[in-house]
Amino acid sequence: MFLKSAAIALTALMATAPIAKAETIPVLVPITGFLSLEGSSQRNGAVLAVERFGKDLSLDAEVTDTGTSPEGAVTALRRALEGKPSAAVASMLGTQMLAMLPIAGRAGVPLLTVSGTAKITEIGIPWVFRFFPGDSVVKVAQAHYAVEELGAKRPALLYQTTAYGQSGAEHLRRIMQDLGAPLVFEEAIDISVKDMLPALTRMQEAKPDLILLHLHSGSTALVIRQARDQNIALPILAGSAMHQPTTAALLEPKQLAGVCAESASSPISEPEGSVEDFTAEYRARFGTEPDAFALAQYDGVSMLIAAKNAGARTATEVRDWLASNSYDGLAMTYKSDGKGNMAHDAVVVCYDGKSAVPAIKRRYENVSGVK
Amino acid sequence: MTAIALTQILLNGLALGAAYALIALGFVIVLNAAGAVNFAQGELVMAGGFVSIALAPLIAEATALPGLLLLPLVMGLMGLIGAGFAWIAYFPVRKRHQVAVFVSTIAAGLVLQHLANAVFGAAPRAGPPLISGNGVTVGALSISLQQIAVMICAAVLISGTGLFLGRTQTGRQMRAVAQDPEMAAAIGIRPKRMITLSFALAIALAGAAGLLLSNQFFVSPNDGGLFMLKAYIAVTIGGWGRLDGAVIGALLIGIFETLVAALTSYLVAEALLYALLLIMLVFRPSGLLPERARARV
Repeated sequence: MFLKSAAIALTALMATAPIAKAETIPVLVPITGFLSLEGSSQRNGAVLAVERFGKDLSLDAEVTDTGTSPEGAVTALRRALEGKPSAAVASMLGTQMLAMLPIAGRAGVPLLTVSGTAKITEIGIPWVFRFFPGDSVVKVAQAHYAVEELGAKRPALLYQTTAYGQSGAEHLRRIMQDLGAPLVFEEAIDISVKDMLPALTRMQEAKPDLILLHLHSGSTALVIRQARDQNIALPILAGSAMHQPTTAALLEPKQLAGVCAESASSPISEPEGSVEDFTAEYRARFGTEPDAFALAQYDGVSMLIAAKNAGARTATEVRDWLASNSYDGLAMTYKSDGKGNMAHDAVVVCYDGKSAVPAIKRRYENVSGVK
Repeated sequence: MTAIALTQILLNGLALGAAYALIALGFVIVLNAAGAVNFAQGELVMAGGFVSIALAPLIAEATALPGLLLLPLVMGLMGLIGAGFAWIAYFPVRKRHQVAVFVSTIAAGLVLQHLANAVFGAAPRAGPPLISGNGVTVGALSISLQQIAVMICAAVLISGTGLFLGRTQTGRQMRAVAQDPEMAAAIGIRPKRMITLSFALAIALAGAAGLLLSNQFFVSPNDGGLFMLKAYIAVTIGGWGRLDGAVIGALLIGIFETLVAALTSYLVAEALLYALLLIMLVFRPSGLLPERARARV
């Protein structure tokens, strides 16, 4: 009799008690393929933010590997949309974003990404939010540092043949020309190229005074190593791949002498404060060093959770909140420029030739003049 | 371009081609023994690179020959993996349609790729150098010790493989099984044992290539496809099923790629390589040397 009464009471309680409905945030990122290093950082940043701030909202992150093909990304997105999410973290690979965006636009689901490819916010689909500064920010910082701080007049550029590489090269070509230091040499390098000597040899014939790089991690390390092995002592100003601790780990500190890189941030270069706390937590959780992609995606998902805490529940409400509010993240303050570009700051870090941890040499704030 | 720069580029191409030759050699050994392409050959090279990274702490950093001391260990371990590979990815499907074998090896390659990603992470890693030290300078020419060591190691391994297959009883038995398994069985040779040995030898060579390449060019879980492609082209150019052809094809690719890229650009070099391959397939489909293998997959 007692058991029966208890069961009825429990059932009644369960029927009336508010049950927090869990929401899953799809994290659709390249964990395999040539962008797996950066994709893993993106995943880690998103997962850490959900774990840290999403408990009260019963948020959960579900990670899906998109590989590196547009088809893989589209399949992952279509499957994720079946769960009717209010937002999704989407690949940092530009070609995948360009394939996913029309589908997300039709479904009305905002995509949060750290892709650097300029075009994703230029095709008029208002459902994308980019938390990593695009080429229009970081390439401006890279070019200005090259000319104003390193005194470049005859720069050479090596860039990747991918959409990311071509987008960055286009910006650098134009900005360097505007700054009165046009490129004297440029070469596109496929991701599979291992021997950089042919490009370095032809580059030297153009007599450059600075090497600009816009390459992924492995190619960046190969160029720097082979240049130093050939006694090419020119200063090198690399793209954001160079700031990644895993890239620096491939090189000896003395090979890094005279090497600088642009980035959105450099978590391991921040010795104190909230970024340092993030770095410690990231190391403990994933057993690896965080990079700017991880921090940017962490900030992006943190802003999404802030939107939800502010009452945004549906995908449209989340989109509207992200588009109209600013958010003080760990790396910078994020605010949309009306196209979904949320990040407008950049840093340039440099190595001293003794350590694999770079120092932040210059901060470029509000490059696009949005904030 | 100066003569010194050209010599430097040729040396680089030769070192790269020598490492490709080891991959192509293993590719042909399996092709001849199993009558099918092992599409996981590239991933096995990548695995060799990671095995050498995992074993590197066993060799004291102070030693002058870290990679050279590791080489037999890596080859032995990869040989064991090769024997296991034959029993997991080849024997269970070998009597099915030929497509089953290459699908099986593709699947095994993907498993290896994901395993490397899970265990070592996605970042490129640098393997141990064969020889410690920077290099030697001859006039204006700077040659890295690593490059010289790669070329010598590859030459020794290629010659050793040739001697083993040509001059030893086991090698002759392996070749007999490759040429006609039924006839070999009729005279008392055990085909399964010889095919297992062929996989072990081929994958040991892949492991050696992985070690040789991992220091100079790093290794990441996604490198397999590139190595496989180079091996496939080398074997197609050299002559399908020809051990000597595979080596010649690989050396030609290494030199062609670096030299043409130095004179034009990487994109032109790549486009020209595939254009020449197409021309060769049209006018000389058997490759530079006469074809020996039973069938192409």
